[in-house]
Amino acid sequence: MKAYKKEVQFTVWMTLAFILVGNVGLIFSIFPVDAMLFGFPVMYIVPILMGWFGVFFLTIVAGKVGNRIDDEIDSENDALGVSDEVKDV
Amino acid sequence: MMEAQNWQLSNPILGLAVVAATFVLFYVVGFLSNRKSASAKDLYIGGGNVGAFTNGLAMASTYMSLATFLGITALILQLQVPFIMLWIQLILAIPLITIIYGTSLRRMGAFSPTHFIRDRYGVTASIIAALFMILVSVMYALGQMIGIAITFETLLGIPYLTGLFVFGIIIVGYITIGGMAGATNNAAIQMVIIALMFIIPLGAIMKAIGADGWYFPPLFYSDMVPAMLESLPTFFDYQFSPKWYFSIIPALTIGALGLPHLAMRVYTASSLKSARSAMVWFAFILGLVFSATYAMGFVGVYATATQGLVISEGDADKLTIILNLVYNPEWVTALVIAGAISAGLSTLSGNLLAIGALISQDIIATLKPNIPQRLSLRIGFIAIFAGGLVSILLAIEPPAFLVVSILWAFGLAGVTNAPLIIVGVWWKEANKFGAIAASVVGGAIYIIVSPFVFPSIVLTGHGVTDGMGLSGAMLAVPISFILLIVVSYITNRMPGLANKLTKQSDIELIERIHGWKDIKSYRYNSTVGAGITVVVSAAVAIWALMPWGM
Repeated sequence: MKAYKKEVQFTVWMTLAFILVGNVGLIFSIFPVDAMLFGFPVMYIVPILMGWFGVFFLTIVAGKVGNRIDDEIDSENDALGVSDEVKDV
Repeated sequence: MMEAQNWQLSNPILGLAVVAATFVLFYVVGFLSNRKSASAKDLYIGGGNVGAFTNGLAMASTYMSLATFLGITALILQLQVPFIMLWIQLILAIPLITIIYGTSLRRMGAFSPTHFIRDRYGVTASIIAALFMILVSVMYALGQMIGIAITFETLLGIPYLTGLFVFGIIIVGYITIGGMAGATNNAAIQMVIIALMFIIPLGAIMKAIGADGWYFPPLFYSDMVPAMLESLPTFFDYQFSPKWYFSIIPALTIGALGLPHLAMRVYTASSLKSARSAMVWFAFILGLVFSATYAMGFVGVYATATQGLVISEGDADKLTIILNLVYNPEWVTALVIAGAISAGLSTLSGNLLAIGALISQDIIATLKPNIPQRLSLRIGFIAIFAGGLVSILLAIEPPAFLVVSILWAFGLAGVTNAPLIIVGVWWKEANKFGAIAASVVGGAIYIIVSPFVFPSIVLTGHGVTDGMGLSGAMLAVPISFILLIVVSYITNRMPGLANKLTKQSDIELIERIHGWKDIKSYRYNSTVGAGITVVVSAAVAIWALMPWGM
């Protein structure tokens, strides 16, 4: 049960995080900001930086967590005795 | 030099020599990589043992089409910052495919997304999905084919039809010979060529214009911002409403999840861990080249606004090449052309391999499951070649706008395939009646509201927004999700249909592809999750029908 819940929650939250980080332009279209950063308007450069480094960072997290959940699923599988592999439907 | 003119290399032999040299390289790599393509598995997914770095590069170059060199910069010239905002989220494709369903389908051993649809929903649904996917892949391949022929025509002076047939057949031949192993190694090499041939010449252009940050073009061009704001104060304006920015999510973010040639890259990974590392490389490289693309668009707008560079509307597609012709020596432009051709080539090979897999595995092998391995492989080669030939023939009378029609194909994939795969992987109740309803009705709605079939039936009346499928997908993608969930839920509760459904094997399939060895009824069975999806989808679809104010 634990690994399953983690898998579903991870996928839902990670998907939302990716969509958010890749669509910062949508946020700025609702909440405009009139400021400069690194010589660019914030509303221009922040979506570009998030769409590169933000997404890059999330892929590292998603990779690590995804591998860990696989291992947990495997260990829950191993915990099943051979005799327990009965179909529970 | 600074007025509208016929942009062409004065020495076309130079361009041809560079392009020929890259072709020889690709042929050799393809031939060496594919000597051992003995089975369909080798042909389509490179034996399933491609390393993470190579795969990450290959994912990026499959995705970065000729549009990087030809189309995007033109649309930045036309739409300015909104188009950059639209383009940024395309980087989400491989990460989302990987975490939402890529690893599950890799575990299953699928060749293509429709392979999963066949095992999950049965033959009828998979053939409908495969037909839509062939349409998507052909439209995509067509765009590359046109772009390659236009590149040869405008830059080297080769007539469009000659370029189309001669180079089209050379390219299709190389893909057919190379298979996926060749395509993957070549795509990785092509990504390096694309990155170098795009970014280094851009640095030289920036240096010539007098920009201080020429040593790192993707991000260091802020010293040009004040002059840009002075001569073109509207450049950074968002222009459109939040609704427009929201519609990018159903159309392109979800759309990319249905693209077969991207998903197939995930299945080539040697392991699930390797697939996850590949997505990290993908994000890094793609972010680098995407950022450079925005810089190129910015520099192009800057040059036209402040440097007196005149680019006619018809030449907008060639902005990257024109900037190189103006500011760089000719041999550099020849290398840039080789980069553009590489970009078209890697995407085209992804498209044609997808068409090959769709026709031979998802349609012919589905209808005639007992044909021998050798024959199936031969059919695959023929299908790849035929797909290429069809896109060449369709390109004889090219439709107007390259990138717009490719982006429209994203939406079609998002409507007809993405919901079937996503819901199919995560919800046991999804069944073939829901899948068929979603794909057929959703696909029909998307096509009807597109400006291509009935120009008077559109949602916004804003040409590019309708043409790119932003408005159509915002309506049709949620409808497709609703139909899949609601029709499945109802038909599962109709006793008369029980013997037409394969509930037990569906359940076993879902548990297996998530990595479980046992079956638990509570897993992947959430009615609440399905209900929330229906409510959110309904809200989005209703919003899409309300006035867009454009």
